[in-house]
Amino acid sequence: MSSHSTNVLGSNVPERDELYAYNYKAKLEEDVFAAVSKPTPLFYIALLTALGCVGIGATSWAIQIINGLGKAGIMNPVGWGVYITDFVFWVGIAHSGTLISAILFLFRAKFRNRFNRTAEAMTVFAVLTAGLFPLIHLGRVWFFYWLFPYPNQRHLWVNFKSPLVWDVFAVSTYLTVSVVFWYIGLVPDLAIARRIKESKIAKTLYGIFSLGWTGTFKEWQHYNQLYKFLAALATPLVLSVHSVVSWDFAMGVVYGWHTTIFAPYFVAGAIFSGCAMVITLMVPMRKMFRLERYIAIDDFEKLAKLLMLTGLIVSYAYIVELALALYVGKEGNVFEYEQFMYRLTGDYAWAYWTMILCNVISPLTLFVRKLRRNLIYLFVLSIPINIGMWFERFNIIVISLARDFDPYAFGYYTPTWIEWGITLGSFGWFFTFFLLFSKTIPVLPVTELKEEVD
Amino acid sequence: MEFRFTNREQFMEKLENILESGMSPDNMKIVMPNPDHEIEHLVEHYKSPSKLKYFTLVGGLTGCLTGYAFTAWTAIDWQLVTGGKPFFSWPAYTVIAFELTILFGALASFAGLLILGKLPRFSKMLNPENYANEYVIIIEDED
Repeated sequence: MSSHSTNVLGSNVPERDELYAYNYKAKLEEDVFAAVSKPTPLFYIALLTALGCVGIGATSWAIQIINGLGKAGIMNPVGWGVYITDFVFWVGIAHSGTLISAILFLFRAKFRNRFNRTAEAMTVFAVLTAGLFPLIHLGRVWFFYWLFPYPNQRHLWVNFKSPLVWDVFAVSTYLTVSVVFWYIGLVPDLAIARRIKESKIAKTLYGIFSLGWTGTFKEWQHYNQLYKFLAALATPLVLSVHSVVSWDFAMGVVYGWHTTIFAPYFVAGAIFSGCAMVITLMVPMRKMFRLERYIAIDDFEKLAKLLMLTGLIVSYAYIVELALALYVGKEGNVFEYEQFMYRLTGDYAWAYWTMILCNVISPLTLFVRKLRRNLIYLFVLSIPINIGMWFERFNIIVISLARDFDPYAFGYYTPTWIEWGITLGSFGWFFTFFLLFSKTIPVLPVTELKEEVD
Repeated sequence: MEFRFTNREQFMEKLENILESGMSPDNMKIVMPNPDHEIEHLVEHYKSPSKLKYFTLVGGLTGCLTGYAFTAWTAIDWQLVTGGKPFFSWPAYTVIAFELTILFGALASFAGLLILGKLPRFSKMLNPENYANEYVIIIEDED
């Protein structure tokens, strides 16, 4: 294994002596667990804010459950609105976590080791958030279990030909596999926590969750193989999940949905938005937890390049779907043509152009190396990208439904405060989990970083 | 006998000597602070690689079969034409079979680690040996 002394102990360390790796590992543990230990007042303020948002979301949902789905703005013809937008948005956020932890692992991209713990945590929490939305979207949420194939009294089964049922399988598999993958990577680090933590309660809890890991050769041997296989299984899984989500739309007959490019288009978009979210989370975290010596600017630059690449793929998809509609033209397919003209110039043009500005124009600035390596710029840029990707889903879902075939059935959809409240609540829910994670679990994968130094 | 090292190279040298002298890796306990592919290759000269892959294979195949069998059975158990498609619409059921391949494959692999690695090890949960970041070789006495 090669040495990485450039960004490890700084340039003022001339040579690696015999104890270099040993000392580095000890220092790494110390630094990472220093970040995990004591919550600052700022942490409590952030946690309370997040919990406050959860409260707003829960109240909004309660109002909707008591009064019925009419409290939300969704109504014929736009039956899928902000809730389904939020669902696709959060599933998308999850994807870059798996990209970083599984796909980049298979490609042996070393920089992934800086981000994979946080990115995987983000994946798990984002899927947990996304999973709420199909439930919130249900008129009678207490019947949610009808989605699962269980033998009922009427001997009826779910319709496995429906993309919505595929989605149940895809998303629940994704959540399960992400949790297993994340937990496996955690086990050796929890064993370190068990050794380092002082308090008896912490020692006991970390001890239980570490499964009694001792780090014997046999354990590592099976662990390595398991990790490799989970990465190899998670890679096709992540590509399939957003493909299935896209088929929720593409299998329908509505123009603006019914196209074959949807699966790759959605996967690229998911990774694009997820990378932006990793940057949104990691830039402040690196600063607050003093992890500068472990996460270099170079590592962020690689993420920025990934953002550039997926941004270009997304831009290409926008061009393709628009170009196809214009190519067949009004004579060829009036519905598709009109749908896209409506997107460009209709009632929701503001949302369409917001999306173009955020997702197509703003990532182009990353071609400038100076900007790509400026963390503050990256952080600032990541926020419009998140917003732009939310609008992408909004445009696809809402605009297509607002104007489909019959002019008598055209409509306009305005989200209500209930829907905005629940959306805010979903951010609070996500950040609550994330904040609790950042103070209980090592935010850097300690064992993987140790492996690098040998 | 117990050997402890703070330096990885010295540890590997010692380990290689012991293994060359004919001692089987099964008769000793090696503790490492992190996974290490070089050490793994070294030891796997004398010891077969992990059998965890068979768990993955069996799990994945079971998942795939379950996916097709279950969807086909439910369609035939109560015959109801939906979307004008045949009862056994294998292209649609492939999505379910694919997801279950991965789900069962991943869960079986995880079970593989627990079974092969003999985890969870309750005795070590609360009272682990404290080797910190040292490399350790423990040879159990033959007599």
